[in-house]
Parts: sequence; structure tokens; C-alpha cells
Amino acid sequence: MKSSRLFSVKTFVFLVLGLWFVPQGLVCAAGGVSPDFNRDIRPILSDKCYYCHGPDDAHRKGKLRLDTAEGAAKVLGNKNAAKSELLHRVTSKDPDEVMPPPDGNIGKSLSAAEVELLKRWVESGAVYSKHWAFLPPERPRIATQPTERLHPIDALARRRLTEEKFSFNPPASKETLIRRMTLDLTGLPPTASEIAQFKTDTSPDATQKLIDRVLASPHYGERMALLWMDLARYGDSSVYHADGPREMWGWRDWVIGAFNANMPFDQFTIEQLAGDLIPKATLAQKVASGFNRNHATTDEGGVIAEEFRVDYVVDRVKTTSNVWLGLSLECAQCHDHKYDPISQTEYYRFYSFFNNTKDGGMQTRNGNAAPMVEIPDPEADVKLKLAQEAVNKALANLHAAGQPKLKGKVFSDWAAPKDIENAKPFPVEGVVMHIPCVESDKTILVSSLEGLNASTGGIALAKAERAGTSGLTLAGNVSAVFDGGPQLDGHSPFSFSVWLKIPAVSGSASILTRMKTDATYRGFDIGLENGKPGLHLVHQWNGSALKLYAKDPLQKDTWQHIVLTYDGSGKASGVHLFVNGDLWEMKVQADTLSASSETDAPLVFGGRQDGSRFRGDVSEVTLWKRELAVNEIKDAAQSYIQALRYYPVDLRTETQAKALAQAFLLGQDRSDATQRTAYAKALDAELKSRKGLSSVMVMEDLPEAQRRATFVLSRGQYDAPLKDREVKPGVPAILPPLSSEGEFDRLSLARWLVQPGHPLTARVTVNRIWQMLFGEGLVRTSEDFGMQGEMPSHSDLLDWLAVEFVESGWNLKHLIRQIVSSQTYGQDGRQTPQTLELDPENRLLARGPRIRLQAEFIRDNALAVSHLLNPKIGGPSVKPYQPAGVWEEVALDTNLSKFTPDTGEKLYRRSMYTYWKRSSPHPSMVTFDATTREKCTGRRSRTNTPLQALVTLNDPQFVEAARAFAQRVIRESGTSASDRVTFAIREALGREPRSREVEALSELARTEFERFQNEPEKARRLLSVGEHSRDKTIPEQEHATWMVIANTVLNLDEFLVK
Amino acid sequence: MINRRAFISRSGTALGATALSGLLNPSLYGTAAASAGTHFAPKAKRLIYLFLAGGPSHIDTFDYKPAMRKLHGIELPESIRNGQRITGMTSGQKAFPCVAPMFEFKQYGQRGAWVNSDILPHTASMIDEMAVIKSLHTEAINHDPAITYIATGAQQPGRPSLGAWLSYGLGSENANMPAFVVMISQGRGQKQALYSRLWGSGFLPSRHQGVQFRSSGDPVLYLSNPEGLDRSTRRAQLDVLGALNADSAELSRDPETIARISQYEMAFRMQTAVPEVVDISKEPESVRNLYGPDVMKPGSFAANCLLARRMSEQGVRFVQIFHQGWDQHGSLPSKLRLQCEDIDQACAGLLKDLKQRGMLDDTLVVCGGEFGRTIYSQGALSADNHGRDHHGRCFSTWLAGGGVKPGMEYGVTDDFSYNILENPVHIRDLNATILHCMGVDHRRLTFRYQGLDQRLTGVEEARVVNALLS
Repeated sequence: MKSSRLFSVKTFVFLVLGLWFVPQGLVCAAGGVSPDFNRDIRPILSDKCYYCHGPDDAHRKGKLRLDTAEGAAKVLGNKNAAKSELLHRVTSKDPDEVMPPPDGNIGKSLSAAEVELLKRWVESGAVYSKHWAFLPPERPRIATQPTERLHPIDALARRRLTEEKFSFNPPASKETLIRRMTLDLTGLPPTASEIAQFKTDTSPDATQKLIDRVLASPHYGERMALLWMDLARYGDSSVYHADGPREMWGWRDWVIGAFNANMPFDQFTIEQLAGDLIPKATLAQKVASGFNRNHATTDEGGVIAEEFRVDYVVDRVKTTSNVWLGLSLECAQCHDHKYDPISQTEYYRFYSFFNNTKDGGMQTRNGNAAPMVEIPDPEADVKLKLAQEAVNKALANLHAAGQPKLKGKVFSDWAAPKDIENAKPFPVEGVVMHIPCVESDKTILVSSLEGLNASTGGIALAKAERAGTSGLTLAGNVSAVFDGGPQLDGHSPFSFSVWLKIPAVSGSASILTRMKTDATYRGFDIGLENGKPGLHLVHQWNGSALKLYAKDPLQKDTWQHIVLTYDGSGKASGVHLFVNGDLWEMKVQADTLSASSETDAPLVFGGRQDGSRFRGDVSEVTLWKRELAVNEIKDAAQSYIQALRYYPVDLRTETQAKALAQAFLLGQDRSDATQRTAYAKALDAELKSRKGLSSVMVMEDLPEAQRRATFVLSRGQYDAPLKDREVKPGVPAILPPLSSEGEFDRLSLARWLVQPGHPLTARVTVNRIWQMLFGEGLVRTSEDFGMQGEMPSHSDLLDWLAVEFVESGWNLKHLIRQIVSSQTYGQDGRQTPQTLELDPENRLLARGPRIRLQAEFIRDNALAVSHLLNPKIGGPSVKPYQPAGVWEEVALDTNLSKFTPDTGEKLYRRSMYTYWKRSSPHPSMVTFDATTREKCTGRRSRTNTPLQALVTLNDPQFVEAARAFAQRVIRESGTSASDRVTFAIREALGREPRSREVEALSELARTEFERFQNEPEKARRLLSVGEHSRDKTIPEQEHATWMVIANTVLNLDEFLVK
Repeated sequence: MINRRAFISRSGTALGATALSGLLNPSLYGTAAASAGTHFAPKAKRLIYLFLAGGPSHIDTFDYKPAMRKLHGIELPESIRNGQRITGMTSGQKAFPCVAPMFEFKQYGQRGAWVNSDILPHTASMIDEMAVIKSLHTEAINHDPAITYIATGAQQPGRPSLGAWLSYGLGSENANMPAFVVMISQGRGQKQALYSRLWGSGFLPSRHQGVQFRSSGDPVLYLSNPEGLDRSTRRAQLDVLGALNADSAELSRDPETIARISQYEMAFRMQTAVPEVVDISKEPESVRNLYGPDVMKPGSFAANCLLARRMSEQGVRFVQIFHQGWDQHGSLPSKLRLQCEDIDQACAGLLKDLKQRGMLDDTLVVCGGEFGRTIYSQGALSADNHGRDHHGRCFSTWLAGGGVKPGMEYGVTDDFSYNILENPVHIRDLNATILHCMGVDHRRLTFRYQGLDQRLTGVEEARVVNALLS
């Protein structure tokens, strides 16, 4: 055989026909049975003819269509092969006549075996039948001998084996079975005690008990989620252009939880495709809809947003159709599908389900893009509580340390001045919050009143000068988050006063806000739009909200005093704006507030939580829980703290007294900075711990009035809608219709996918599970069940599984239990001379699966065996060891340009939690065929390369695992080399060692020990790899010796395969 | 006895891995006479692609016209822009003043080709070896889609790169080196990101992805043994591993196990072969000098060019060098100068070095980026400063060596170097032509994925530019 890819097509035909069609053909010939259209004929016609003579109207040549019986009738010769133009053309020697044309796009002629099949098909009447995958699956009849109690899977597998004169391999050993099953269903190896228990359990239901235990493991959900993450193109970065960070791990954790709870697959489907549209959707259902936000998004400065918005919709169509239908719908984006009966119009009907989402084409290189929901992060909550306690303590310390000062003369002179004639009138009554904007050590913002704590995250604030008092310059990159503080609920009056000086009258900037970052935008926001002061009070944007901004902007570069008052009426008419004491006209942009704007979002000064930062100078921020009277407006321009100073001491409330004290200690007193600095640090830490809260991007459709019409796009181009070809949501006609009348949305689509009798969803899903367990699906092209996909190796088995799955209530654990209980799954994995010769790829299922573990499980396995594994489930992604420079070489200077490995326990998390930067995913995993997850991937390749050897031999993660494993070997087994080798093999491979293993590894230990004795420095250096601490009571040379043995064992072929 | 067919078909892919896979041990597959597997006699046995990432200005390098001087400062006529879309970075500009290059140009070579004599003097001196395409074009107008397009044949991620296709189709000539090597150098101009998909394997088996060689740390990731673990220890380990794995193979009859034994052996050989190939200390000074003063700076474009030659010599099928920093939205006169300073002497040196070794005849060298830049200024045009925005309607790329007609220019653009007047070359055509030089018919190098026989040039029309071929 030529060792070149360029002859691969023929090679392929040879291999496949050699293995499949020819033996069956021979059976057919002998029995006089005609070829089966679906199995034997359609693959030939599809592959060789449909490109020009298939479903694509626009591209059809010679008006001949071979994908329908009517279209083909004229060339089939009516049972007479000699009269068939089809046969004439495919066998012609004339280069002008022969089909496919030798110089055409197909360029592949028919083999003799294919011609023979076509001939016999023509002679038998050329019967067409609908493509198998578009017919609903039916439970096959299973004929077994009455004496046998065969599992249906085994009966169907055996039927095929018997036809091909094969038989099942003997069952795998118990050690092999438990290891295979545990790795398959949890991605982790069984422990020695689990193996021992299973081996000694001789009860008839020992295997069932094993299955129960494994399926109940929380690691089952992780394993299944990992499969799903490839399909869902899950990543921790945004892919396009800057490939910045995003947080979708909340969605990933939802998936783990759903699998562990054994959520029925129909519900699992509906929640991920349309969780947001479910009436009264829960937070979890909204999070689930994040499935279709995992795709790549761009932030590139020059893009035309619509081009990318369309790109995202196209991706959702591709992903949804690949994952649930096993069809490449995306091929019909530019023209009718070349092979499958899917027209371009039908493509855009499907597309329109996804064409009304709110997310834009231009997204972000830094975090999540709306719409999104916030998710609680229990870990972060704990951290935040601790940080808040620290803040309170620091503040208490500050006050405690300040007590002597507050009793001193400096304070009393300041807080109760004698020059009463200088007192300025100020509406002290009803103040609930005041930020004096005193620069204090350039780290913290002084706040006052009622346990209000603020932080600026350590960003320096500059002092701004304002006649008579002080101010702060906010550079447009800083905001302060407050813990607690007042609510503005929309039905209570309030007033707000501030001094501002702005350098420009453009952009939007918030001054004081408390607003959700999800799609409701519930809360309030006081600030500027293009320099015009105004406010939002929002219950639900924008159906229930107040929005008013001034008609004119403020002056640039000059201090102005702004007051907003509100009467609590819920109406725009209840809001008034005063600038420098004058009433200004406002423009009402929304006047529909119908319910409370109270929210649990934090209070923020200087910007919104996710942007809209204020740039300019600010001073004297004051909030009253009442509507100021018109005659109080001018007085409000004065300072609250100043007013308090002149306020009679005996009339001061406790809060007012505390505000004065705090203003003094933080802003006025300069005698000792220790407590102030400690307070600043605590606030900073508190702000950082707030960042532990996370969000998830979710699906959300536009409101009715803003819906987009969907048009067929000419050649798939975003800017070429065919205005005379508007389409409504719908599904391809070859598949069952949507089950109800009326307007269809994503929820209808999701329900349609899992409606009873759907021909594809269940088949595609059970096939994928089969692929997970056996390495290949029954339909090997698990992403393509169309005409060009491979026929199932066992149609009846596939259908049995599909029907069983649906009838069980889409119960995945039930399905998996069925498969792993079977004799077919439990066979020994070894090849026989017969399988090696005739069925090396195990298409006949004459042996159990023996395949290399996927990337993640190779690392997890090493971590588990060495007891380094941190089994924590879920949470933010982590950064294990990675060679320096890998990200830096390719990245833009963004938040993800530098890789800083985590330390401690995070280095040993399961590999599925490794931070997935999709332009530069972890190199060790990629070397073992992990996909970049830039696009939906249903099948990984499984290669075998020298670079893989370098990873498991030299990657510090694996070298450290060898060190930790060696430590176990030394501590947990005997002192003789053979004891230790025996222990190592048992732990790593889950079986008893062979004598040769004991001999060879003991001998290696002997020579290595000598080597390290001669060169003790090398032992020390070897032991230094990895940060996990070493048991120093073990002599270095001994530990290094066994580290070499452990490194060898962790590279044994058997360790890497299941 | 392991059945060879079993080996070949156990690839985990629809087709099976009958290609000479870059990193497989040829002793298992017979001699790696890869060229025997081409569609027709290849003119080039290997390829070196100098990729200038960011969109180098064709106007300021190879597509200059003296008449441009007269256009300086005038508004780009609507008849030239013709309603074409432009990027969001300049679409809001009120004026589009044309900018003549702020550099000197001279005519070079037998055909008197205009080349920037200020900043590309060395490259210009080799013009008679080069075929300059001035009429290359792409639909993409932004970096990510454009670079993904030219590198993989599609604007969206997911497809194999040019190098992955070559590895898949032709395999490696050297058992101890990958078939497809990638090296990256940083420029000094505005940088854009790169992505592993640009040398990724897409839906091809992942062994075909480019292997990145690095200038610091291990040249290939994880190549070195851990500290304190000697090569002799490693040898002893591999002997035990080999013997025990052979025992396993005897029991399981799994061909993959036998293959794994040989992969470990190849890894062991790579541990010496790779450091040898990247060690340029033994190169004669006369050779090093060809590449310019940066050649001794690890990770520089010049150093990578010399490494590319050494690897080509060792039978690496395809070396792709990415040089970043060509995105001159502003400060073009100064930044383009720095960028060209990085590459000028090295490009010329590479051609000279290949030529003096007789390798230029069967080594194809390609140099260019993902798109060109606009004739009009991005932002304000001052007496000595301006920027240019992205321009995909035409840009220049040069080829030299195996299979290419030397000393020619192909394609003509209008006075504004904005539209193509003659002989357009789509980036698909360029890729088809590169494959052709390597002896591969782009229509026949296919891989079945999602029902389609996928190929580098995709489903759209692509043609080999015969006029460029020698």
C-alpha cells in the first residue's frame, strides 16, 4: 500500500467495502437478495452523484436528479441494466461521457464493487426508500432461544457476529471490568479497596452493585459534562480577536449538576436551548440557556457588528443541529444542501429561531456581555463575609484608637467651632447618606452614616480643588462599591445633591447607582448622559421604568451644583432638576414605572458595576430620604459636614455625631495614619472579594416590538438579505412538523427536538453515549446522520437503544446501565487473530473497548494514583502548571496575556477545570487531542505521537505525580523492591503484577539507586520538581529511585488505556 | 505479527491514517518517500512561509506607483471606493485623504520593479528571484477573520491549517522531526493576536498540527528530561517500558501499543535531534551574517529564518514563521521602518543562503500577510505622519524558489492600489498554487468531515495561478 494520503479515497473504499459491503454482498448474491437502498446504494449515489444531481436546485446539472425515484427513473433502465444510462455513464471509458467527470469537483470514479451493487439494484427494480435516519426508530424484534436470557443488546450484537461468523470474546477479568467502568463513567480509576471489594463479591448482582455505585458518584456528572463541553464549545475565553476572559463556569456547573441529578434528557435539552423562555424561568433555567452563549464572540475594533451577530446565529444553528439532529444544517447557509434534503429556505427558517436574541455583534474582551444573570458563588460569599467582618473591625479599631482624640481639644475645636456667625444654612433633616469627597491617603473614599463601608480598590484618587471645600478627581477608571446603604425604591421621595466639574460633555457616566447587571437593570442610576444630568428608576427595563435626563448639558470645566428631587409618585412629573439653583427642563424617555426599583445589587459611587465610569471632579454627594422644598435647594449647595459642625451638639443624633467623628478621623486628623491605612487595606480586600461573585451569559429574546424579520441571505452573506424571501421559524420538511400551530419560538424548537417519534434526537444521543464507551459510535460519523454519514454498523441495536431511551423517560443513567450491563461491553478487550485481520476497528463488537484515555483522564489518572487529586467539584476554572510564555507568545496585551499558574490545591483539580483559553489551550491536553473548543466538536481524534510521550515523561505535573506516587509506594508498601513494585502496579493498573514487571522494575530500581548514590545532587534536583511538599523522612536517594520507577509505571501503555 | 492494515486504519477518524503522518516512525511504514505520494512531480519539496501578521502595507512596500505622489492629500474618489465596505475604525471618518508613501522608492532588477529602497534594500536586491503577486485579495477586513481565512481557508475557526494539510498529505521526510514547525517572532509595531488554530489541525487528526518551536525554555515543550534525570536513566526507563509494553502487546494484540513503543523511542531521538537543529552556534559566520545582526538574538525573525533553513535541510516539510506587529493604523512611517528593519536582511539572507546551497530550486518561500492597507490615511494626515486602515481588496505577497517563475510581477492594481485591474488572485488561489508547487492537487487532497470531502480551498472556486509557475 502506498503510504500516502493522496490515495486514501481508494484505500478507504477498499477497507470499508472489504470489511462490510463485500461480505454482505456475497451473502446477498448467494441468497439472491437485492441490495438494500439505504445500506448499499444511497451511500454510492450520495458520495458520487448528489453533488451535481442531488437536492441543490441551483447547482443541478443536466436537469437530472438522483436523490428521488421520480428524478432518477429516466436513467435507471426499468430493471434492465443494459438500458440504464446511469450504469452506462459510470462505466464508460469515454472521458466526455464517464461519470463522475474525471476533472470535476468529485474526481472519484466508482469501484468495480460499487458498479456491481448498482447493477444488481437496477436489475431488482431500483427501489428507493427514505433515508433511514429520517424514519422514526422502532423497537426491533429480538428472537432468542427460550433457554437463553440474553440482554437485548447482546442478542442484537450477536446476531451480527453470527452473520459474519464471529463470536464474542470471553468476559474481561473483574479487575479490567471495574477499571474500565470506573474510568468510563467517572474519568477516574477505581481505588484498590473498591477493586478488592468487587473481586470478592461473588453475588450474582455484584456487577449491578458496581454500576449503582459508579453511577451515583458525583464524578459521573463531571465525566458526562466533559463530553458535553466539547459539544457545547465551552471555554473560559471569547475566542475572536483578543480572546479575552469570560465566565461561563456557572453554566458548566449547571451541566454537572444536571447529569448528577439524572435530569431527563428532554428537559436537559429544553432548558439549554430555551430555559429563558420557560414561563417563570428559574435562575437555573436561565443559566442553562447559556449553552448557546458559549460560542466565539468578537471585540475587534474594526468589525461591522451585524456581520458578527449573524456569525453567532450561524454558530447556534450549526451547534444545535450537530448536537441534537446529527445533521450539518450549516451546509445550507449559502445554497441548498448538496447531499441532504435541506433547502436554503429551510436553513433560514431554522436560523430565525435564534435570530431574535438580545446579544450584540460587538461584545467584549473583558468579561461577560449582556444579557447575563448573576450567580451566587458560595465560596465567594464566605470570602466576602470574612472581608466585611475585617472592614468592620478595622473601622471599629479606627474609632477605638480615635477615642482619646475625640475627647481632645483638637476635635472639639473642629466639631463645635465658636465662630457661629460663619454657619451656613443647610437642610440637615433627612440626610441618609453623604460622601464628603475628602481625599484621604489617596486610597479610600470617606463615607459616612449607618455602617456604610466603601472601597475604591486601591486606585488612587486625586484631590480636586473647589473653593470653600474639597473634592475628588475620578479618572474614569474607578468606582467605589458600598456595603449596605440606602435603597431608592421608586415609591418613596428622595433628593440628591452633588457638585460636579466635567472635562467633556460626551458619553454616559454614573455618579451614584444601585442597579442589577442582568437584563432587568432593576435599581436606580443617577448620572450624566452626554453631560446632561438625570436618572433612571427601573423595575424592569424598559417596560417598567422612569428615565429622565436634562435637555441641555452642563458647562464644561466649571463647578456646578446639581440637585435632583423626587416626590415618590412613580411618575416622571415627580422629578425635578436644579442646576446652580435654577430649575432645568428634562426630557422624559420612559415613564412606565409600575413596581419597586429596590434591588439586592450593591450601591456604587463613580460608575456602574460594569462600566459607565465618571470622569471629572466631584464633591459633596448628599442623599435625603425626602423631597427638598424649593427654598432648600440653594442651601443644599453647602456642606453637610460643615453644617453638622455648627449644629448644636446636644441636638445631634447618634448617627450625626458618628458621621462627624468619622469625618474627623478619616479626613481631618493627620496625626497617625496606622488605623487609616489598615482600614483602607481592609476595604480594598473587601472590594477584591466582591469580584468572586460571578455571572453567566444567557439567552434572551428581544421584546416583541424590536423583533427582527429573518430573510434568506444571498450566498449566506450577512449584508445580502433577499427582501422578497422573508421566512418564519420552522423545521426542515423531511423531519416531523412542529407539534403546534401559531408562532414558534426557541421553546417550540426545543420541545420539537424531544417530541415522541422524532427520528434523530434519541438516535444521535444514544450513539454518542455508545461512542463514549466504545470509542466509536454505532454510526461512526456521530455528527452526521445525513446521506453522507456512515450507515450504522447495527441499525437494529441503535434503534433498540433509542426507543428504550425515550420510553425510559429520556433516562441517561438507565441507558448507560443497559449498555454497561451487557456482555458486549463486558468482553475482554484483546484482539484475536480474526479481529485483527478482519475487524481491527471493532465494528462488529467482537471484543470489549481497549482505547487510550482522553487527555483529561490521563492527567486525572496520574493525580488520582499519586493521591494528589483535589476532588472538588465545580467553581471557577483553574490554572495548573504550564510552561512559561505559552500565552504571551500569541496574546494581545489583555487580561489574558499572561499566564500565572495557581498554587496549592488548585494545581491538582480535575483537568476539566483547567482554564480554557481557546486561542492557546493547555498544551499538554492539546497534545493528547483535546479540542480547542472554538467550535462544536462531537468527536476527538485519538492519535499516538512522540509529543505525548514527552508530556507524560517530562511535564512537571506528571513528574510531580511520580514523586508523590513514589512517596506512597515507599510509605504504604514493604521495604523490598518486589513489594514496592507489586504495590505500584496494583495501584496504577488495578491488577496483580506479572513476574517480568517485578523483575524488570526491581532491577531498574537497583541500578537507579546506585546511580543516585553516586550522584546525590541529582536526586535532590529530581525531587525538587513540583510544589507539593515531600516527606523529608524518606532518604533523598531512595525517594528519587522510586520516583524513576513511578514515572516509568505511569507511562506504561496499560496506564494510558482503559 | 502485527497486521499492518490494522495499524493504518486505527486512527480514530473516518478515513484512517494512511497518510504519512509527520511524527510516525518510518520504520513501521517503510521508507518515507513522501514525494512518491504526490499527485504530480513536485517542484518544491518543502515550504517556508514568512507570515507578516497584522496586514503589511502593500503601498509602502511592493505596490508603489510613482504617480501616487500626485495623489497625495486628495480625497479618495468615490469612483475608486465604489461603495465598498470599510472597517468600523475609519467608516466614521469625515475625510479620506490619500497618502503617498513617505519613503524613497527605486526600480530594481531586470524588470525595473519599484521597491521601497529606504526600508527594504536587501529584499529589493533579490527581486529577480521573486514573483510578486500584487493582486492578492480577500473578503475579510478585520484581523481575526482575515488571518484565519488565509491560514485555514475559512474565516471561522475549525478547519485545518495549510501546514496540517501538508502534513496530512505528504508526511515528514525526517523521522526525528515534525513535518510542520511554527515559530513566532515579535515585531516592534502594533501587534495583533495569534491563535493556535492558525497552525491547528482542525478536523484532521491532531498529530498534523504544527509543532511550535520556542526560543526560550525547551525548544519543543517538555523536550527536556526533568532536572536530575539523566539521559542514561531515561534510556534505562525506556528499555523497561519497551519490554513491558511489548508484553502487553503480546497479550492484547493491540497495534496501538506497538506504535506507542516506537513513539517513545522517537521522543527519545527528538531529545537530541531538536537541540541539534536549533543550535546555530556552529553555522559559519559568513552564513550567519547573511541574515543580519539580529540572527544571534534568539526568537528574532532573523534567527527564525536561519532555523527555518536548517530545518528545511533536515527535511521538515513546512516551516511557518509568524512575525507580529504589522498593524500600522498610526505612525506608519516610523513603525513600518522598524518592522522592515526586522525582516529585510533576513528575507534576503534566507533566499541567498538557500540559493548558495542549491536548495532554492526545490524550496518554496512565501512572504506576506493577511491583507494590505488603505491608500487613505487613518486619522489625521500630517507632513510626516499618518496611518492606514485594513485593506483586503488588493495586497502583495511574494514567492520565490521551487516551482515559481523568478523575477516576475503578477496582477495590476489601479493608481490608488485600491482595486485590481488585472489578474486577481484570491487567497484560495494562492493556497491552491502553493499546494500545486508541492505536487498536490488542492481538489484531490480531501478529508471527509460532516458529510463533505473537505479541502483547504473549501467549496468555492479556486485555481492554480499557472502564470506564476516555472
